[in-house]
Amino acid sequence: MIHERTHQHFLELIHRHQSILHKICFVYCKNRVDREDLQQEIVLQLWKSFPSFQANAAFSTWMYRVALNTAINQTRRPGLLFDTSSSPEIPYDPSDFYDLSEEIQILYRAISQLRKVEKAIILLWLEEKSYEEIAASIGISVKNVSVKLVRIRTRLAEIIKKLQ
Amino acid sequence: MKSIDLDSIKAAWKNESSFEDQRLSELDIENFLSSKSKDISRLFRKGLIFDIVLKSVIGVSLIGIFFLLKASQSLVLISYILILTLLAIRYQWLMIARIPEASTSDPVIRISLENKIKFYRRHFIKSLYVGALSNSLFILSGMLYYLYFKYGEIRPFAWDDYLVLGVTLIIGFALGAYVQITQHNFQVKQLESCLQDIDEDAMTTLTLRDQRNKKRRLIFIFLLALVCGLLLLAFFIFR
Repeated sequence: MIHERTHQHFLELIHRHQSILHKICFVYCKNRVDREDLQQEIVLQLWKSFPSFQANAAFSTWMYRVALNTAINQTRRPGLLFDTSSSPEIPYDPSDFYDLSEEIQILYRAISQLRKVEKAIILLWLEEKSYEEIAASIGISVKNVSVKLVRIRTRLAEIIKKLQ
Repeated sequence: MKSIDLDSIKAAWKNESSFEDQRLSELDIENFLSSKSKDISRLFRKGLIFDIVLKSVIGVSLIGIFFLLKASQSLVLISYILILTLLAIRYQWLMIARIPEASTSDPVIRISLENKIKFYRRHFIKSLYVGALSNSLFILSGMLYYLYFKYGEIRPFAWDDYLVLGVTLIIGFALGAYVQITQHNFQVKQLESCLQDIDEDAMTTLTLRDQRNKKRRLIFIFLLALVCGLLLLAFFIFR
């Protein structure tokens, strides 16, 4: 009975905060199949970690932490015969962007060119998380967050300029 | 040149209405819960289970040859191989329980990455060598069956038989270890590069470790080539 209530509560929370899921998956995966796999993996990990969620904390912050952790820990499989690490980057499918404004489309394309950890930091910054929250999620000092953010923002601006 | 105003882009991100679209129903989310994880931990766990099954089949085949031979000098050798197989199965079984879960109660990205990398580099790597032992055991049991069905018994080995068998077993083991370690490194290096991005100071440590590993690998390959070469030399001299 308690388990069922927890289960239902979890489903409701994820349903309400699903935009976090979509944003993270969109940033980390350009391919629709990979995106669905990551969505599934994140939901699974959120469920496994749900007992550690403290009700007095913000659910969205906790969800971001677990989801970003899962996305960063995802690894590409080695090819059977060849190393696929040097294969050319696949672009986004234009149909994935049909409901997004042009500004956000460019931003997604730009963020997708950043490294995994940079993506996590910039996503948290876009979501207006405080430097303390970003530092706690990544596991670095607040000072380090500000240094990294300056660097990432400069890089992001350069990429956006090229894409425009 | 026009400069990019990231703060206005951030405001656009904040106001993007399509983010609020409810694309997943509660049923979709529930279906995700009944699916299986594709995390690196699960992948390595599956690899260990496969190896345990393979070693179990080899173990059963060794028990089979044990009963076929009934009374022979080779029984002592087969008993040792059987014990080795059982010990290897036990080792892999214990390793499965040690693989860290993908989810962590403290989802700090850096700690999670550090724990995983430490485990895969320090402990899991040993199980890959134990896994590579399956190749040698498979060759050995296959060869025992071949000899039994061809000659109806397993005759005592001459020194050159030991030589050919030894080289074959070493090559089988080395090939298995090489393939498994290459695949393992491919995935663990991705985690390491993320940790490197988090803490740029870690770069020096990683580079040093990479060099140390490269040196160890080269020594291993050199020793292997030396042993094979000496055995072949002995074969041609004393033939």
